[in-house]
Amino acid sequence: MDIVKFKNYSWKYSETDKYVLKNINLTIQQGEFLGIIGNVGSGRSTLCMSLLGLVPHLFYGKTKGELIVDDIVVKKAKISDLSSRVGLVLQSPDTQLTGAGTNVEEELAFGLENLGVPRREIIKKVDSMLKLLNLEQLRNRSPFELSGGQQQKVAIASVFIMEPKILVLDEPTAQLDPLGTEQVFSFIKKLAKKGTTIILNTQKIDYIAEFADRIAVVNKGRVVKVGETREILTNVELLRRNGISPTVFTKLSEELIKNRLYKGELAMTFGDAVKIMKKVKRK
Amino acid sequence: MTKAILSSYIKKNTFIHKLNPLTKLIFLVAVIITVFAVKSFIYNLIIVLAIIPLAYSAKLLSKVFKPLRYLFIIFIVLYGIQSFLYPEKETILIDFGYGIAIWEEGVLFATIISLRLLAMIVHGYFFVLVTHPGDLVCSLRKIKFPYKFGYIVLSTLQVIPRVASQMETIIDAQKSRGLETKGSIANRLKAYSPLLGPLFLGSVQNVVERTIALESRAFSYETEKTSYRETYVRKKDKIIMASIVVFFTLYGVISWIL
Repeated sequence: MDIVKFKNYSWKYSETDKYVLKNINLTIQQGEFLGIIGNVGSGRSTLCMSLLGLVPHLFYGKTKGELIVDDIVVKKAKISDLSSRVGLVLQSPDTQLTGAGTNVEEELAFGLENLGVPRREIIKKVDSMLKLLNLEQLRNRSPFELSGGQQQKVAIASVFIMEPKILVLDEPTAQLDPLGTEQVFSFIKKLAKKGTTIILNTQKIDYIAEFADRIAVVNKGRVVKVGETREILTNVELLRRNGISPTVFTKLSEELIKNRLYKGELAMTFGDAVKIMKKVKRK
Repeated sequence: MTKAILSSYIKKNTFIHKLNPLTKLIFLVAVIITVFAVKSFIYNLIIVLAIIPLAYSAKLLSKVFKPLRYLFIIFIVLYGIQSFLYPEKETILIDFGYGIAIWEEGVLFATIISLRLLAMIVHGYFFVLVTHPGDLVCSLRKIKFPYKFGYIVLSTLQVIPRVASQMETIIDAQKSRGLETKGSIANRLKAYSPLLGPLFLGSVQNVVERTIALESRAFSYETEKTSYRETYVRKKDKIIMASIVVFFTLYGVISWIL
Protein backbone atom coordinates (compact mmCIF):
# COMPACT_ATOMS: atom_id res chain seq x y z
CA MET A 1 0.00 0.00 0.00
CA ASP A 2 1.23 3.49 -0.81
CA ILE A 3 1.42 5.54 2.35
CA VAL A 4 3.03 8.67 0.90
CA LYS A 5 2.27 10.03 -2.54
CA PHE A 6 3.95 13.11 -4.02
CA LYS A 7 2.21 14.09 -7.25
CA ASN A 8 3.96 16.80 -9.27
CA TYR A 9 4.67 18.46 -5.93
CA SER A 10 6.48 21.81 -5.84
CA TRP A 11 7.15 24.20 -2.99
CA LYS A 12 8.58 27.69 -2.69
CA TYR A 13 9.26 29.54 0.58
CA SER A 14 7.84 33.05 0.47
CA GLU A 15 11.32 34.51 0.95
CA THR A 16 12.98 32.54 -1.86
CA ASP A 17 12.68 33.21 -5.58
CA LYS A 18 13.24 29.70 -6.82
CA TYR A 19 11.23 26.65 -5.98
CA VAL A 20 12.95 24.57 -3.31
CA LEU A 21 11.10 21.43 -4.33
CA LYS A 22 10.42 20.99 -8.02
CA ASN A 23 7.85 18.72 -9.54
CA ILE A 24 8.39 15.81 -7.22
CA ASN A 25 6.86 12.44 -7.98
CA LEU A 26 7.52 9.87 -5.33
CA THR A 27 5.53 7.09 -3.74
CA ILE A 28 6.55 5.40 -0.54
CA GLN A 29 5.21 2.00 0.49
CA GLN A 30 3.96 1.16 3.95
CA GLY A 31 6.66 -0.48 6.07
CA GLU A 32 9.40 0.61 3.72
CA PHE A 33 12.76 2.05 4.77
CA LEU A 34 13.56 4.86 2.38
CA GLY A 35 16.87 6.66 2.46
CA ILE A 36 17.09 10.18 1.08
CA ILE A 37 20.52 11.33 -0.04
CA GLY A 38 21.78 14.40 -1.78
CA ASN A 39 23.92 17.45 -1.63
CA VAL A 40 23.67 20.25 0.92
CA GLY A 41 20.83 22.61 0.01
CA SER A 42 19.15 20.12 -2.27
CA GLY A 43 15.80 20.43 -0.52
CA ARG A 44 15.97 17.21 1.45
CA SER A 45 15.01 18.82 4.76
CA THR A 46 12.12 20.67 3.16
CA LEU A 47 10.94 17.36 1.75
CA CYS A 48 10.99 15.89 5.26
CA MET A 49 9.14 18.85 6.75
CA SER A 50 6.39 18.70 4.15
CA LEU A 51 5.46 15.21 5.37
CA LEU A 52 4.31 16.58 8.74
CA GLY A 53 2.60 19.52 7.04
CA LEU A 54 5.08 22.04 8.48
CA VAL A 55 5.38 23.05 4.88
CA PRO A 56 2.90 24.67 4.09
CA HIS A 57 1.25 25.15 7.51
CA LEU A 58 4.08 26.46 9.70
CA PHE A 59 6.22 28.10 7.02
CA TYR A 60 4.74 30.44 4.45
CA GLY A 61 5.09 29.82 0.76
CA LYS A 62 3.52 28.43 -2.34
CA THR A 63 2.67 24.85 -3.23
CA LYS A 64 1.85 23.20 -6.51
CA GLY A 65 0.74 19.66 -7.07
CA GLU A 66 -0.42 17.34 -4.34
CA LEU A 67 0.95 15.45 -1.35
CA ILE A 68 -1.05 12.67 0.25
CA VAL A 69 0.13 11.16 3.52
CA ASP A 70 -1.83 8.19 4.83
CA ASP A 71 -4.89 9.17 2.76
CA ILE A 72 -4.81 12.74 4.09
CA VAL A 73 -4.32 15.58 1.66
CA VAL A 74 -1.63 17.57 3.47
CA LYS A 75 -2.60 20.90 1.97
CA LYS A 76 -6.10 20.70 3.45
CA ALA A 77 -5.20 19.05 6.76
CA LYS A 78 -3.97 20.57 10.01
CA ILE A 79 -0.55 19.77 11.51
CA SER A 80 -2.33 18.29 14.52
CA ASP A 81 -4.16 15.80 12.29
CA LEU A 82 -0.90 14.65 10.80
CA SER A 83 1.12 14.63 14.01
CA SER A 84 -0.58 11.49 15.30
CA ARG A 85 0.48 9.68 12.13
CA VAL A 86 3.84 11.18 11.26
CA GLY A 87 6.75 11.56 13.67
CA LEU A 88 9.57 13.94 12.75
CA VAL A 89 12.98 14.31 14.39
CA LEU A 90 15.44 17.00 13.33
CA GLN A 91 19.21 17.11 13.66
CA SER A 92 19.93 19.18 16.75
CA PRO A 93 19.50 16.93 19.80
CA ASP A 94 19.16 19.90 22.09
CA THR A 95 16.06 21.38 20.50
CA GLN A 96 14.48 18.02 19.76
CA LEU A 97 13.83 17.58 23.45
CA THR A 98 10.67 19.44 24.36
CA GLY A 99 11.57 20.24 27.97
CA ALA A 100 8.07 19.18 29.00
CA GLY A 101 9.44 16.28 31.01
CA THR A 102 11.69 16.72 34.00
CA ASN A 103 13.30 13.35 33.32
CA VAL A 104 13.70 10.86 30.48
CA GLU A 105 10.55 8.93 31.43
CA GLU A 106 8.40 12.03 31.25
CA GLU A 107 9.96 13.18 28.01
CA LEU A 108 8.97 9.82 26.52
CA ALA A 109 5.46 10.09 27.99
CA PHE A 110 4.84 13.62 26.71
CA GLY A 111 3.63 12.69 23.21
CA LEU A 112 1.28 10.05 24.61
CA GLU A 113 -0.14 12.56 27.10
CA ASN A 114 -0.88 14.87 24.22
CA LEU A 115 -2.70 12.11 22.38
CA GLY A 116 -4.79 11.45 25.48
CA VAL A 117 -3.59 7.90 26.05
CA PRO A 118 -4.74 6.62 29.49
CA ARG A 119 -2.09 6.80 32.21
CA ARG A 120 -1.88 3.04 32.72
CA GLU A 121 -1.06 2.45 29.07
CA ILE A 122 1.52 5.23 29.08
CA ILE A 123 3.33 3.57 31.98
CA LYS A 124 3.37 0.23 30.14
CA LYS A 125 4.60 1.77 26.91
CA VAL A 126 7.30 3.85 28.56
CA ASP A 127 8.59 0.81 30.42
CA SER A 128 8.75 -1.38 27.35
CA MET A 129 10.33 1.39 25.27
CA LEU A 130 13.04 1.95 27.87
CA LYS A 131 13.69 -1.78 27.97
CA LEU A 132 13.77 -2.15 24.19
CA LEU A 133 16.34 0.60 23.81
CA ASN A 134 18.46 -0.08 26.89
CA LEU A 135 17.71 3.34 28.29
CA GLU A 136 16.56 2.03 31.66
CA GLN A 137 19.53 3.32 33.60
CA LEU A 138 18.78 6.83 32.31
CA ARG A 139 15.09 6.95 33.19
CA ASN A 140 15.36 9.33 36.13
CA ARG A 141 18.01 11.61 34.64
CA SER A 142 17.18 14.98 33.15
CA PRO A 143 17.27 14.64 29.35
CA PHE A 144 19.34 17.82 29.16
CA GLU A 145 22.18 16.25 31.13
CA LEU A 146 22.72 13.42 28.65
CA SER A 147 25.32 13.21 25.90
CA GLY A 148 24.30 14.23 22.37
CA GLY A 149 23.90 10.64 21.20
CA GLN A 150 21.78 9.72 24.18
CA GLN A 151 19.67 12.87 23.78
CA GLN A 152 18.99 12.05 20.16
CA LYS A 153 18.07 8.49 21.13
CA VAL A 154 15.60 9.86 23.67
CA ALA A 155 14.21 12.30 21.09
CA ILE A 156 13.70 9.57 18.51
CA ALA A 157 12.27 7.19 21.11
CA SER A 158 9.80 9.80 22.35
CA VAL A 159 8.47 10.22 18.82
CA PHE A 160 8.54 6.49 18.07
CA ILE A 161 6.61 5.64 21.25
CA MET A 162 3.59 7.43 19.79
CA GLU A 163 3.51 4.65 17.20
CA PRO A 164 3.42 6.90 14.16
CA LYS A 165 2.79 5.16 10.86
CA ILE A 166 5.65 7.10 9.38
CA LEU A 167 8.86 8.07 11.15
CA VAL A 168 10.76 10.86 9.42
CA LEU A 169 14.36 11.40 10.53
CA ASP A 170 15.99 14.52 9.16
CA GLU A 171 19.75 14.11 9.54
CA PRO A 172 19.45 12.71 13.06
CA THR A 173 23.21 12.22 13.36
CA ALA A 174 24.53 15.38 11.72
CA GLN A 175 25.69 16.88 15.03
CA LEU A 176 26.92 13.71 16.68
CA ASP A 177 30.36 12.24 17.13
CA PRO A 178 31.18 8.84 15.54
CA LEU A 179 30.19 6.91 18.67
CA GLY A 180 26.89 8.77 18.96
CA THR A 181 26.23 8.19 15.27
CA GLU A 182 26.87 4.48 15.67
CA GLN A 183 24.51 4.34 18.65
CA VAL A 184 21.71 6.20 16.90
CA PHE A 185 21.95 4.10 13.75
CA SER A 186 21.89 0.81 15.58
CA PHE A 187 18.87 2.16 17.39
CA ILE A 188 17.13 3.10 14.14
CA LYS A 189 17.88 -0.41 12.87
CA LYS A 190 16.00 -1.83 15.85
CA LEU A 191 13.02 0.42 15.16
CA ALA A 192 12.99 -0.50 11.47
CA LYS A 193 12.35 -4.12 12.43
CA LYS A 194 9.04 -3.09 14.04
CA GLY A 195 7.44 -2.48 10.66
CA THR A 196 7.12 1.30 10.78
CA THR A 197 7.66 3.21 7.58
CA ILE A 198 10.95 5.04 8.03
CA ILE A 199 12.17 7.92 5.92
CA LEU A 200 15.76 8.76 6.73
CA ASN A 201 17.49 11.79 5.32
CA THR A 202 21.22 11.55 5.88
CA GLN A 203 24.66 12.23 4.50
CA LYS A 204 26.10 9.11 6.10
CA ILE A 205 25.55 6.68 3.27
CA ASP A 206 27.88 4.07 4.76
CA TYR A 207 25.15 3.45 7.32
CA ILE A 208 22.03 3.51 5.14
CA ALA A 209 23.76 1.14 2.72
CA GLU A 210 23.31 -1.44 5.47
CA PHE A 211 19.59 -1.22 5.96
CA ALA A 212 17.60 1.01 3.59
CA ASP A 213 15.21 -0.79 1.23
CA ARG A 214 15.21 1.96 -1.36
CA ILE A 215 17.07 5.20 -1.86
CA ALA A 216 15.98 8.48 -3.40
CA VAL A 217 18.65 10.78 -4.79
CA VAL A 218 17.70 14.44 -4.50
CA ASN A 219 19.46 17.27 -6.28
CA LYS A 220 18.46 20.92 -6.66
CA GLY A 221 14.92 20.27 -5.50
CA ARG A 222 14.27 17.35 -7.80
CA VAL A 223 14.11 13.64 -7.08
CA VAL A 224 16.69 12.55 -9.61
CA LYS A 225 16.32 8.82 -9.15
CA VAL A 226 14.63 6.33 -6.85
CA GLY A 227 15.63 2.71 -6.73
CA GLU A 228 16.84 -0.30 -4.80
CA THR A 229 19.65 0.55 -2.41
CA ARG A 230 22.27 -1.53 -4.21
CA GLU A 231 21.23 -0.27 -7.62
CA ILE A 232 21.65 3.35 -6.52
CA LEU A 233 24.71 3.14 -4.32
CA THR A 234 26.78 1.16 -6.80
CA ASN A 235 25.86 3.58 -9.58
CA VAL A 236 28.99 5.60 -8.98
CA GLU A 237 28.46 7.90 -11.90
CA LEU A 238 24.95 8.86 -10.76
CA LEU A 239 26.19 9.59 -7.25
CA ARG A 240 29.12 11.75 -8.38
CA ARG A 241 26.97 13.65 -10.83
CA ASN A 242 24.75 14.63 -7.91
CA GLY A 243 27.57 15.61 -5.61
CA ILE A 244 27.48 12.52 -3.41
CA SER A 245 30.56 10.56 -2.50
CA PRO A 246 30.11 6.76 -2.74
CA THR A 247 30.78 4.61 0.33
CA VAL A 248 34.40 3.87 1.23
CA PHE A 249 33.78 0.26 0.32
CA THR A 250 32.58 1.20 -3.16
CA LYS A 251 35.64 3.39 -3.61
CA LEU A 252 37.88 0.57 -2.46
CA SER A 253 36.41 -1.89 -4.98
CA GLU A 254 36.63 0.77 -7.71
CA GLU A 255 40.31 1.19 -6.96
CA LEU A 256 40.89 -2.57 -7.06
CA ILE A 257 39.17 -2.80 -10.44
CA LYS A 258 41.27 0.07 -11.76
CA ASN A 259 44.43 -1.70 -10.67
CA ARG A 260 43.18 -4.94 -12.22
CA LEU A 261 43.25 -6.77 -8.95
CA TYR A 262 39.57 -7.60 -9.05
CA LYS A 263 36.80 -8.06 -11.60
CA GLY A 264 33.08 -7.96 -10.86
CA GLU A 265 30.46 -5.92 -9.05
CA LEU A 266 31.25 -2.90 -6.94
CA ALA A 267 31.06 -3.31 -3.20
CA MET A 268 28.60 -1.33 -1.12
CA THR A 269 28.78 -2.57 2.45
CA PHE A 270 31.48 -3.74 4.82
CA GLY A 271 30.41 -7.34 4.13
CA ASP A 272 30.87 -6.90 0.36
CA ALA A 273 34.31 -5.44 0.88
CA VAL A 274 35.38 -8.38 3.03
CA LYS A 275 34.24 -10.83 0.34
CA ILE A 276 36.18 -8.96 -2.33
CA MET A 277 39.31 -8.80 -0.23
CA LYS A 278 39.15 -12.57 0.26
CA LYS A 279 38.88 -13.06 -3.52
CA VAL A 280 41.80 -10.75 -4.13
CA LYS A 281 43.90 -12.62 -1.62
CA ARG A 282 43.12 -15.99 -3.20
CA LYS A 283 44.41 -14.72 -6.53
CA MET B 1 27.81 20.85 29.67
CA THR B 2 26.09 22.86 32.38
CA LYS B 3 23.92 20.91 34.71
CA ALA B 4 20.23 21.23 34.08
CA ILE B 5 18.71 22.65 37.22
CA LEU B 6 15.12 22.02 38.07
CA SER B 7 14.44 25.22 39.95
CA SER B 8 15.83 24.68 43.43
CA TYR B 9 13.82 21.64 44.45
CA ILE B 10 15.65 19.46 46.95
CA LYS B 11 14.41 15.91 47.21
CA LYS B 12 13.83 14.76 50.78
CA ASN B 13 11.50 12.26 52.29
CA THR B 14 9.58 14.32 54.85
CA PHE B 15 5.95 14.95 55.69
CA ILE B 16 6.01 18.38 54.05
CA HIS B 17 7.62 17.07 50.88
CA LYS B 18 4.91 14.44 50.56
CA LEU B 19 2.02 16.90 50.81
CA ASN B 20 0.14 17.84 47.66
CA PRO B 21 1.65 20.93 45.97
CA LEU B 22 -1.73 22.65 46.16
CA THR B 23 -1.71 22.39 49.96
CA LYS B 24 1.67 24.09 50.04
CA LEU B 25 0.53 26.67 47.51
CA ILE B 26 -2.52 27.53 49.61
CA PHE B 27 -0.25 27.96 52.61
CA LEU B 28 2.00 30.32 50.66
CA VAL B 29 -0.93 32.36 49.37
CA ALA B 30 -2.39 32.54 52.88
CA VAL B 31 0.95 33.75 54.24
CA ILE B 32 1.22 36.47 51.61
CA ILE B 33 -2.34 37.71 52.13
CA THR B 34 -1.95 37.66 55.91
CA VAL B 35 1.30 39.63 56.05
CA PHE B 36 -0.48 42.44 54.26
CA ALA B 37 -3.69 42.14 56.23
CA VAL B 38 -2.47 42.06 59.82
CA LYS B 39 -2.34 45.25 61.82
CA SER B 40 0.91 45.24 63.72
CA PHE B 41 4.34 44.03 62.77
CA ILE B 42 4.63 41.63 65.68
CA TYR B 43 2.18 39.35 63.89
CA ASN B 44 4.35 39.49 60.79
CA LEU B 45 7.40 38.65 62.86
CA ILE B 46 5.64 35.54 64.16
CA ILE B 47 4.85 34.46 60.58
CA VAL B 48 8.48 34.99 59.54
CA LEU B 49 9.74 33.00 62.51
CA ALA B 50 7.26 30.21 61.76
CA ILE B 51 9.59 29.22 58.93
CA ILE B 52 12.08 27.84 61.43
CA PRO B 53 10.01 24.89 62.69
CA LEU B 54 8.67 24.31 59.16
CA ALA B 55 12.11 24.24 57.58
CA TYR B 56 13.42 22.11 60.45
CA SER B 57 10.75 19.49 59.90
CA ALA B 58 11.55 19.49 56.15
CA LYS B 59 15.27 19.11 56.97
CA LEU B 60 16.08 22.29 55.07
CA LEU B 61 16.89 24.72 57.88
CA SER B 62 20.36 25.48 56.54
CA LYS B 63 19.07 26.18 53.02
CA VAL B 64 16.00 28.29 53.59
CA PHE B 65 17.75 31.54 54.55
CA LYS B 66 20.02 31.55 51.51
CA PRO B 67 18.19 34.28 49.55
CA LEU B 68 18.60 36.70 52.47
CA ARG B 69 22.12 37.49 51.29
CA TYR B 70 20.66 39.32 48.31
CA LEU B 71 18.01 41.04 50.42
CA PHE B 72 20.52 42.65 52.75
CA ILE B 73 21.19 45.63 50.48
CA ILE B 74 17.49 46.24 49.96
CA PHE B 75 16.97 46.39 53.74
CA ILE B 76 19.79 48.89 54.19
CA VAL B 77 18.37 51.15 51.49
CA LEU B 78 14.86 50.76 52.88
CA TYR B 79 15.85 51.71 56.43
CA GLY B 80 18.14 54.47 55.19
CA ILE B 81 15.44 56.20 53.22
CA GLN B 82 12.42 55.59 55.41
CA SER B 83 13.95 56.50 58.79
CA PHE B 84 15.00 59.93 57.52
CA LEU B 85 12.31 60.79 55.01
CA TYR B 86 9.05 59.13 56.10
CA PRO B 87 6.41 61.88 55.64
CA GLU B 88 4.44 61.51 58.89
CA LYS B 89 7.22 62.69 61.19
CA GLU B 90 6.19 63.03 64.87
CA THR B 91 8.66 61.43 67.23
CA ILE B 92 12.38 62.00 66.94
CA LEU B 93 14.52 59.00 67.72
CA ILE B 94 17.99 60.41 67.09
CA ASP B 95 18.57 64.07 66.33
CA PHE B 96 21.57 65.04 64.20
CA GLY B 97 20.71 68.73 64.19
CA TYR B 98 20.29 70.93 61.08
CA GLY B 99 16.81 69.37 60.67
CA ILE B 100 18.26 65.93 59.99
CA ALA B 101 16.90 63.20 62.24
CA ILE B 102 15.84 59.59 62.41
CA TRP B 103 12.12 59.41 63.00
CA GLU B 104 10.42 56.65 64.94
CA GLU B 105 7.50 56.38 62.49
CA GLY B 106 9.92 55.89 59.64
CA VAL B 107 11.78 53.12 61.41
CA LEU B 108 8.49 51.41 62.25
CA PHE B 109 7.31 51.69 58.66
CA ALA B 110 10.56 50.26 57.32
CA THR B 111 10.27 47.39 59.78
CA ILE B 112 6.74 46.55 58.63
CA ILE B 113 7.73 46.62 54.97
CA SER B 114 10.87 44.57 55.47
CA LEU B 115 9.03 41.98 57.54
CA ARG B 116 6.45 41.62 54.77
CA LEU B 117 9.23 41.22 52.22
CA LEU B 118 11.06 38.80 54.45
CA ALA B 119 7.96 36.66 55.02
CA MET B 120 7.15 36.47 51.32
CA ILE B 121 10.67 35.65 50.26
CA VAL B 122 11.48 33.12 52.93
CA HIS B 123 8.16 31.31 52.58
CA GLY B 124 8.24 31.58 48.79
CA TYR B 125 11.72 30.11 48.67
CA PHE B 126 10.70 27.37 51.08
CA PHE B 127 7.78 26.51 48.78
CA VAL B 128 10.17 26.16 45.82
CA LEU B 129 12.53 24.00 47.89
CA VAL B 130 9.89 21.48 48.89
CA THR B 131 7.76 21.34 45.70
CA HIS B 132 8.77 19.42 42.60
CA PRO B 133 7.84 21.62 39.61
CA GLY B 134 6.49 18.60 37.75
CA ASP B 135 4.13 17.83 40.61
CA LEU B 136 3.08 21.45 40.87
CA VAL B 137 2.19 21.64 37.18
CA CYS B 138 0.42 18.28 37.33
CA SER B 139 -1.76 19.32 40.26
CA LEU B 140 -2.48 22.73 38.73
CA ARG B 141 -3.65 21.01 35.55
CA LYS B 142 -6.02 18.94 37.66
CA ILE B 143 -7.78 22.08 38.82
CA LYS B 144 -8.15 23.08 35.16
CA PHE B 145 -5.18 25.36 34.69
CA PRO B 146 -4.43 25.67 30.95
CA TYR B 147 -2.26 22.86 29.56
CA LYS B 148 -0.03 25.28 27.69
CA PHE B 149 0.63 27.30 30.84
CA GLY B 150 2.00 24.15 32.47
CA TYR B 151 4.32 23.53 29.55
CA ILE B 152 5.62 27.08 29.72
CA VAL B 153 6.48 26.72 33.42
CA LEU B 154 8.25 23.38 33.04
CA SER B 155 10.14 24.08 29.86
CA THR B 156 11.32 27.49 31.04
CA LEU B 157 12.92 25.92 34.08
CA GLN B 158 14.80 23.53 31.84
CA VAL B 159 15.57 25.78 28.91
CA ILE B 160 17.09 28.67 30.89
CA PRO B 161 20.19 26.67 31.83
CA ARG B 162 20.53 25.82 28.12
CA VAL B 163 20.57 29.50 27.23
CA ALA B 164 23.28 30.02 29.84
CA SER B 165 25.43 27.30 28.29
CA GLN B 166 24.80 28.74 24.84
CA MET B 167 26.08 32.05 26.15
CA GLU B 168 29.25 30.35 27.37
CA THR B 169 29.80 28.82 23.95
CA ILE B 170 29.40 32.21 22.28
CA ILE B 171 31.77 33.83 24.79
CA ASP B 172 34.38 31.15 24.11
CA ALA B 173 33.98 31.64 20.38
CA GLN B 174 34.39 35.40 20.71
CA LYS B 175 37.34 35.06 23.09
CA SER B 176 39.15 32.86 20.59
CA ARG B 177 38.74 35.73 18.13
CA GLY B 178 40.41 38.12 20.54
CA LEU B 179 37.54 39.52 22.59
CA GLU B 180 38.72 41.06 25.89
CA THR B 181 36.44 40.06 28.77
CA LYS B 182 38.63 41.13 31.68
CA GLY B 183 39.54 44.52 33.10
CA SER B 184 37.39 47.40 34.29
CA ILE B 185 33.62 47.22 34.58
CA ALA B 186 33.22 49.43 31.51
CA ASN B 187 35.47 47.06 29.56
CA ARG B 188 33.47 44.05 30.64
CA LEU B 189 30.15 45.63 29.74
CA LYS B 190 31.56 46.51 26.37
CA ALA B 191 32.74 42.93 25.93
CA TYR B 192 29.35 41.44 26.66
CA SER B 193 27.27 43.62 24.34
CA PRO B 194 28.34 41.85 21.10
CA LEU B 195 27.18 38.56 22.61
CA LEU B 196 23.54 39.59 22.70
CA GLY B 197 23.00 39.46 18.94
CA PRO B 198 24.09 35.86 18.40
CA LEU B 199 22.43 34.79 21.65
CA PHE B 200 19.12 36.34 20.70
CA LEU B 201 19.15 35.09 17.12
CA GLY B 202 20.24 31.65 18.27
CA SER B 203 17.34 31.52 20.70
CA VAL B 204 14.86 32.45 18.01
CA GLN B 205 16.26 29.71 15.79
CA ASN B 206 15.90 27.26 18.67
CA VAL B 207 12.29 28.30 19.16
CA VAL B 208 11.48 27.36 15.56
CA GLU B 209 13.13 23.96 15.97
CA ARG B 210 11.49 23.32 19.31
CA THR B 211 8.11 24.21 17.81
CA ILE B 212 8.68 21.49 15.25
CA ALA B 213 9.64 19.07 18.03
CA LEU B 214 6.43 19.97 19.89
CA GLU B 215 4.31 19.54 16.79
CA SER B 216 5.75 16.10 16.16
CA ARG B 217 4.77 15.22 19.75
CA ALA B 218 1.16 16.10 18.90
CA PHE B 219 1.19 19.13 21.20
CA SER B 220 -1.65 20.81 19.30
CA TYR B 221 -3.67 17.61 18.95
CA GLU B 222 -7.15 18.33 20.25
CA THR B 223 -8.19 15.84 22.88
CA GLU B 224 -8.48 15.43 26.63
CA LYS B 225 -4.81 15.35 27.68
CA THR B 226 -3.66 12.75 30.16
CA SER B 227 -0.77 12.83 32.60
CA TYR B 228 2.06 10.40 33.29
CA ARG B 229 2.98 12.06 36.55
CA GLU B 230 0.27 11.68 39.15
CA THR B 231 -0.48 13.68 42.29
CA TYR B 232 -3.19 12.94 44.79
CA VAL B 233 -5.15 15.18 47.11
CA ARG B 234 -5.26 12.93 50.16
CA LYS B 235 -7.36 13.22 53.28
CA LYS B 236 -4.55 14.87 55.21
CA ASP B 237 -4.21 17.48 52.44
CA LYS B 238 -7.88 18.37 52.70
CA ILE B 239 -7.67 18.63 56.49
CA ILE B 240 -4.55 20.79 56.33
CA MET B 241 -5.97 23.03 53.61
CA ALA B 242 -9.10 23.65 55.68
CA SER B 243 -7.08 24.33 58.83
CA ILE B 244 -4.82 26.76 56.95
CA VAL B 245 -7.81 28.80 55.84
CA VAL B 246 -9.41 28.77 59.31
CA PHE B 247 -6.15 29.51 61.12
CA PHE B 248 -5.08 32.45 59.00
CA THR B 249 -8.55 33.99 59.01
CA LEU B 250 -8.57 33.84 62.80
CA TYR B 251 -4.99 35.12 62.91
CA GLY B 252 -5.93 38.16 60.84
CA VAL B 253 -9.06 38.85 62.88
CA ILE B 254 -7.19 38.55 66.19
CA SER B 255 -4.53 40.98 65.02
CA TRP B 256 -7.25 43.57 64.48
CA ILE B 257 -9.10 42.93 67.77
CA LEU B 258 -6.15 42.83 70.15
